[in-house]
Amino acid sequence: MTLTREAPVVAAPPAARTRPRRDGLANALMVAPATVLYTVMLIVPVGLAFYLSLTDWDGFSANPAFVGAGNYADLLDDPELRRAAAVTLLIAAAGTAGLNLLGLGFALLVNGASRANTFFRIVLFYPHVLSALVVGFLWSAILGTSGAVNNLVTSWGGEVLPFLSDPEWATVTMIAVLVWAGFGVNVVLYLAGLQAVPHSLIEAARIDGATRWQVFRNVTLPALGPSVTVNIVLSLVTLLKTYDLVVSLTAGGPAGQTQTVAYLILWNSFHDARLGFGSAQSVILMLVTAALAFVVTRLRRRGELAVHQ
Amino acid sequence: MRSPRPSLFPLWPALGSLLLLTGCGGGGFAGDSQARQDENGQVTVRMLVNISPNLTQAYWDGLVKPFEQANPGIDVKIEAPTGKGVADTLPQQLAAGNAPDVVETLMADETLAKQMLDLTDQPWAKDTPLAEQAKLGGRIYTVGVGVQAQSLVFYNKTAFDKAGIELPPTTFDEFDAAMGKLRTAGYLPLQTGGDFLTGLQLLQLTNPSRAQTHPTWQQDVKAGTIKAGESMLPHLERYRTWIDKGYVDKNALGMKYADAETAFLSGKSGMYVMGSWFTATEAKADKDFEVGVFPAPVDEGQQHPGPQGATLAAPYMILKSTPNKDAALKLVQWLVTDPAAVKSQLAQDGNFRTGVERDFTPLEKEVQAILDAAPAGVPQGEGYGDASLPKGFNSAWNTEVQGLYVGKSPKDVAEGVDRWLAGRS
Repeated sequence: MTLTREAPVVAAPPAARTRPRRDGLANALMVAPATVLYTVMLIVPVGLAFYLSLTDWDGFSANPAFVGAGNYADLLDDPELRRAAAVTLLIAAAGTAGLNLLGLGFALLVNGASRANTFFRIVLFYPHVLSALVVGFLWSAILGTSGAVNNLVTSWGGEVLPFLSDPEWATVTMIAVLVWAGFGVNVVLYLAGLQAVPHSLIEAARIDGATRWQVFRNVTLPALGPSVTVNIVLSLVTLLKTYDLVVSLTAGGPAGQTQTVAYLILWNSFHDARLGFGSAQSVILMLVTAALAFVVTRLRRRGELAVHQ
Repeated sequence: MRSPRPSLFPLWPALGSLLLLTGCGGGGFAGDSQARQDENGQVTVRMLVNISPNLTQAYWDGLVKPFEQANPGIDVKIEAPTGKGVADTLPQQLAAGNAPDVVETLMADETLAKQMLDLTDQPWAKDTPLAEQAKLGGRIYTVGVGVQAQSLVFYNKTAFDKAGIELPPTTFDEFDAAMGKLRTAGYLPLQTGGDFLTGLQLLQLTNPSRAQTHPTWQQDVKAGTIKAGESMLPHLERYRTWIDKGYVDKNALGMKYADAETAFLSGKSGMYVMGSWFTATEAKADKDFEVGVFPAPVDEGQQHPGPQGATLAAPYMILKSTPNKDAALKLVQWLVTDPAAVKSQLAQDGNFRTGVERDFTPLEKEVQAILDAAPAGVPQGEGYGDASLPKGFNSAWNTEVQGLYVGKSPKDVAEGVDRWLAGRS
C-alpha cells in the first residue's frame, strides 16, 4: 500500500516576502564580529606586510621610499636566505616525520583507559607546555660544549661531542629538540583519532584472523586518515615558522648554519633595521607555507578517498 | 631608481585599528608630541634599558630613586626589552606607537638619529665621555656615562707562571709564543666562545693593530677606498692557525658567552679577550687564581700600547617624540653628570671615566692604567657617530668569523664580509 499526500497549496503571507531580507541582515550581523576580527587580525596585517615589502622601511622613519619589487629581486641574490630556506625545509621535512612517527607510536602505546596511560599522556604532553625559549636554554645547558653531557663524557676520558658546535650535529640536535618539545600535541591528536576508530571494524578484522599488524595496517591506519592529514599539515606549518628555539638553542650558529627563514626575517627586520626586506621575506614564507599546506592536504585527501573507494 | 617618497598615510587606518586593539597610546613617530601628566600633575618618563647580569631591573630601579626623590613631579618607569634586546625592542615599540621617552644602550646612527632629540645645544652634553667622537654630522644625539675599554686581554697569572711566561706579550708573535707555552703547560691558551663572542673577540684583539694600519677604517670602508674583509685578512689567517694548532677550543662555538666566561674563571684557560666590563664579573667570581690584564698586542714594528678600542658606556638618547621632553632631559642630564649616579653606573658594569675616582679593585686599577697609557680611543667594528658601518655589520662579521671553525678558509671569510657590505651599500 502506498500512501500519498498532496501538498497543500497555501498562499504565502505578505510578511514572508520580507523574511529573506531580514534573515540576510541577521546573518550579516552574526557573521560581522568574526569578519571584523578576521579582517583586523589577518587581512590587515597581511596587507600591511605586503605594502611594507614594497618599501625600504627601516622600522624608524615615518616616510619609507617605495622600491617596487626591489626587495623581491634582492631575495633572489641573497645567499643567507638560500641557506636558511634549505635549513628550514630540512627541519620541516625531518621534523614532520619525527613528530608524526613518535606521535602516532606513543598514541598507540597509551591508547588504553588506565591510570598508567593517563600519567604517561601527561608526561608526554609536558614538554609542549614549556616555552620554546626555556626548552632551548635547557638543552643548550645539557648539550653545549661545557654542558652536562660533555662534562660526563670528558670526565670518562672521551672527546667533546659537538652537539652545538658542528653544523651537521647542530642541525640534527635542533630537529631532535623540536621533536622532543612538540610531539606531545601529535600524541593528543592521534589519540583523539584513535578513539574515533569504530571498534566493530577492529573486532571484525580480529574475528577474520587478522594479526595485530594487519589490523593496524588495514583498519586503524586508514581510519586515521583525517588525523594524519591534520597532524602533517599542523607540524609542517609550525616547523616552517621555527624561530624561538633557534634563538635559545643555537642563536643561528655555528657560522649561521642553523638560521631558519623565520629567524632571518626577525633578524633582518629588527636587528638590521630592514623591515621592508624582512616583510618581503615574510610574504614569500607565507606563500610557500600556504602552498605546501595546500599540496599536502590535496595529496592526503586523494589518498583518503582512494582508501574509502 | 627609487620613486619619490610617499608617506605612510595609507597605513594609518590599519595601524590605527591595530592600536585600538592593543590599547596602545602615546609615543610613536616624531611629531605627535603631547604632554603626558596624570591628574596629580605627575609626569612619567619611560626609559628602555639593557638588562644584564650586572644591570638588573632592581639595579635600575634603585639607580633612579634618588632622582625621583629630588624631583617629586617625575616618576621614572624602567622598562626591560620585550624582544631579544633593546635594539630589537625599540623599533617594535616605535611601530606600535608605544615608544619610550629615553633609551639606553643604543648609539645614534643615520637611521636612529632621525628619531632622536638633538642634544648639541645642551651645555652639559659636550663634556660627556666620547661626545666628540660619537657626533653624527656634527650633532650630539648620544651621551654616555663612561668609557668601555675593549681591547684587553685578561690572563690567569697562575697559568702564566706555570708556563714560564714572565712578561705579557706585546706583539702577535709573542702572543703566539705565549699560547704555545700555555698549551704545553696543560692550559687551553685562549678562551673563545660561540654566540656573538667569536667575532667580538677578534675585533677587540685587533683594534690597536688595525687602528695603526687604517686609522679611519670605518670611514674608509664606507667610502669604498678599502674593503673590510680584505683589510682584516692577515688577522683572519692568524686566527685560523690558532684553531689548527689547538690554541683555541675547536668546539668553542657550542659555548654561550656566559659559559666562556665561566670556563675562564674556572682556571682552565690561560687568556680571555674581553672588554672592561669583565672586571665587574671577575670581582664577584669565586676563584683560586689571580687575574691580570694587558693591552691587546700589535704587529711587529707598531707602537705598543696601540690605540685602545673604546665604546661609550651606558649611552642614553632621548626620543624626539617624547611628550615629556623637559623631564627626559633632566633625567638624562642627571644620569650622565650626577657624581653619585655616574660612580654607581661605572662601578656596576666595570666602566671608567677620566677624572672620576671610585673604589677600584686591583684589576680595575690595571685597566685604568691601560686606558691612561693608550694614545687614543678608536671605534670598534660597526663603530659609532660618523665612523659607523651599516647596521648589522658586527653580526655579519661574527657569522663569517665563526666560519673559520667549520672549515671556511680565511679568504672565503674575508670575501663573505665584503659581499655582505656590498649588499648593504
